[in-house]
Amino acid sequence: MSAKGAGVNDKDDIEAGTLRVWALRLFVMTRKELLQLRRDVPLLLFLIYSFSLSVYISGAGISMQLNNASLLVHDGDHSASSRELIHRFRPPYFRFDGEVEDQKVGVQRLDQGTAMLLLDIPPRFHESIVGREPVSVQLQVDTTNAPQGLSAAAYAARIVGEFSFDLASFRLGGASGGLMDMPRVESAHRVWYNQNQDETWFQSISHILRMITLFAFLLPAAALVREKEHGTVEQLLVSPVTPFQIMLSKVLAMTLVILAATALAMASVLKPVFGVPIKGSAPLFFLMTALYSFTTAGLGLFAATVARNQAQVGMMALLGISPMLLLSGIATPFEAMPPWVQTLMALSPLRYFVDVTYGILLKGVGFDVLWDSMLAMALLGGTMFGLGMWRFRRQFQ
Amino acid sequence: MNRRRIAAVARKEWKETVRDRLFLLMAFLLPALWMVVFGYGLVLDVEHVPFAVLDRDQSSLSRDYLYRFIESRYFDYRGSVSDEREIDRLLGDTAIRMAIVVPERFEEQLLAGRSVTVQTLLDGTFPLHADTTKGYVIAVNNSFTQELLTDFLARTRGLGPDEARRLAEPVSLETRYLYNQEVRSTWSMVPALIMFALMVASPLLTALGVVREKETGSIYNIYSSTASKAEFLVGKLAPYFAISMINVAVLWMIAVWLFRVPFKGNIAVFIAASMLFVLCSTGIGLVISLLVRTQMAALIITIIIAMVPTILFSGLLVPVSSLSPGAQVQAHLFPMMYYTDVVRGSFLKGLGLKSMWMDLLALTGFAVVLRLVVYGLFTKRPKA
Repeated sequence: MSAKGAGVNDKDDIEAGTLRVWALRLFVMTRKELLQLRRDVPLLLFLIYSFSLSVYISGAGISMQLNNASLLVHDGDHSASSRELIHRFRPPYFRFDGEVEDQKVGVQRLDQGTAMLLLDIPPRFHESIVGREPVSVQLQVDTTNAPQGLSAAAYAARIVGEFSFDLASFRLGGASGGLMDMPRVESAHRVWYNQNQDETWFQSISHILRMITLFAFLLPAAALVREKEHGTVEQLLVSPVTPFQIMLSKVLAMTLVILAATALAMASVLKPVFGVPIKGSAPLFFLMTALYSFTTAGLGLFAATVARNQAQVGMMALLGISPMLLLSGIATPFEAMPPWVQTLMALSPLRYFVDVTYGILLKGVGFDVLWDSMLAMALLGGTMFGLGMWRFRRQFQ
Repeated sequence: MNRRRIAAVARKEWKETVRDRLFLLMAFLLPALWMVVFGYGLVLDVEHVPFAVLDRDQSSLSRDYLYRFIESRYFDYRGSVSDEREIDRLLGDTAIRMAIVVPERFEEQLLAGRSVTVQTLLDGTFPLHADTTKGYVIAVNNSFTQELLTDFLARTRGLGPDEARRLAEPVSLETRYLYNQEVRSTWSMVPALIMFALMVASPLLTALGVVREKETGSIYNIYSSTASKAEFLVGKLAPYFAISMINVAVLWMIAVWLFRVPFKGNIAVFIAASMLFVLCSTGIGLVISLLVRTQMAALIITIIIAMVPTILFSGLLVPVSSLSPGAQVQAHLFPMMYYTDVVRGSFLKGLGLKSMWMDLLALTGFAVVLRLVVYGLFTKRPKA
């Protein structure tokens, strides 16, 4: 409050110092926001948790790749060939969870969800192979979770296909009395940007994206609605600060907090624990995080001007944030979504920030490649902030 | 416990909720809206992977080979390049997720019965997608090899096509997809979305209901009134419980009638589990509301606690069985996982009480423990 008084005293050279006064007022208001946040201890503790331990838990804990799919086998043959085939279903993709005597028992385990796959090897499997009769094995897959089920089936098909190809080549080689040439298209893969397909990188980064989104939307929105609810916004409006300064100071304060929290997450978890490389420029990344926070805060402030109380702003946050989090491409493959969702998501700043973040951190690309995403974020943020300003002015003046 | 006093608290809460039109609208609209948007929009299948090709052979066989990718629904052809450096740029800009490089003398080598290596370059930023894409490529390569081999055997050994095929593929795999025969991700998503909608909206309603009174000071009316702790809590919860149960019914109807997801299980079990789950989710909201002082903190903490474990650890996107042990522990500490099991089991698997009693027991346990915690935390004589 005393600093604000100092600002008002600068009457003498108000022309020359307008900008200085303006900046000072903004600074004072920003400081006020930070002080208010500092007093909310539970919230602050939660913020720290969200950008440290919580990042670690989801980075280390979540693997969407097929992993330890529980496999049951009903082996009707018990021969060398059937054992050879079963042996090829290996970790990390499959976890052999034992044999079942009866097919029904296996299906029951699938029902209960304690197993995901049931491989059924028919009697006379070995005999058929030796006798050169074609034979098929059956696989039952729990597809209540469709993508995982499909993925498991694809791996199983690959394993059986290779088993079959090895048999064929062995057999044909044997027939011609030596190694025989066979035409074959072999697959060689080079995975870029994350050679080992280390999922901790992806998950920890996407967790930070989630957290930035939530906090950047909610912190300024809740702060503004609180002032509306308590009536302190009227007090601010009769003071020399402009509505623009009121809104901007909230965005500035929360952006600072989010940048600090992001730095905490990078320094405490991403680099030391998971070894995420920062291939591109770190300052550029933080600059982009600031831009993204600003954009998302613009959305939040707009919601706050529509809402009359915290409960309403909470509901509007849920309305806006959950599609952003689930449909912007960190939870699901963006290209596979229906066209209308992709169009709708052009409005989600997260959709652009996902490309920017992975681009800078993992691909090491810079401004020359990412400029269009940056422009989109800036435009979205500017528009939302402008709309919020317009509504805010109209409500209070 | 006095029924009239409970009714009075509930009526007051109900009036406050109804008076806030926007809030009331959202409370009913939001879950239904999510269900529709995410039911249609949240597609988990890796499809339409954008890719480019670099064909160094330019033969009829290489074109035949690449055509299998171009016409597949899993891939979206984005053009052909003449230089590996161009691939670099396209991958960096996320214009493509994959590139296929066909080597020189592709046709010549294969027709001569030798093996050829085709290289695929994948964008690894999303490991799951990269991995799934890899699987698709291998499947295409394997089936192409199978055909080549059959052809080759027929040509070099003078066998009939059937005999050659039998020789080329001695063992085959038949796959049966259980519970979701067409492997539609909509079917796996929609039931779980009922859980998502209930978990994300109900705690917020409840938490704000209490903290609002704390922040505005109207809670002192309760402190000084004759209503006991238990009466206050029950009355406070009643309207939100009612809203959530109406939502359960609406969501169930959307799932069955709009998305045509079969409901094969026992409706009574489903309703019982839903009631228990709503008690759990509102209980979480109450616990948070008693730990914080400001609505701002209540809002942010509830949204994050409700959303993050629900997206990550409930089985919505990732099956709990493929989480790491540490994350599995966390999954078991929240009620979401158990309810997801019940919902998916009831809809897709047609399970009844016999196979799901454990989940129901766990939900009951959560509901009771949360109530006890709330009862312990809530005091009519706060220190400050």
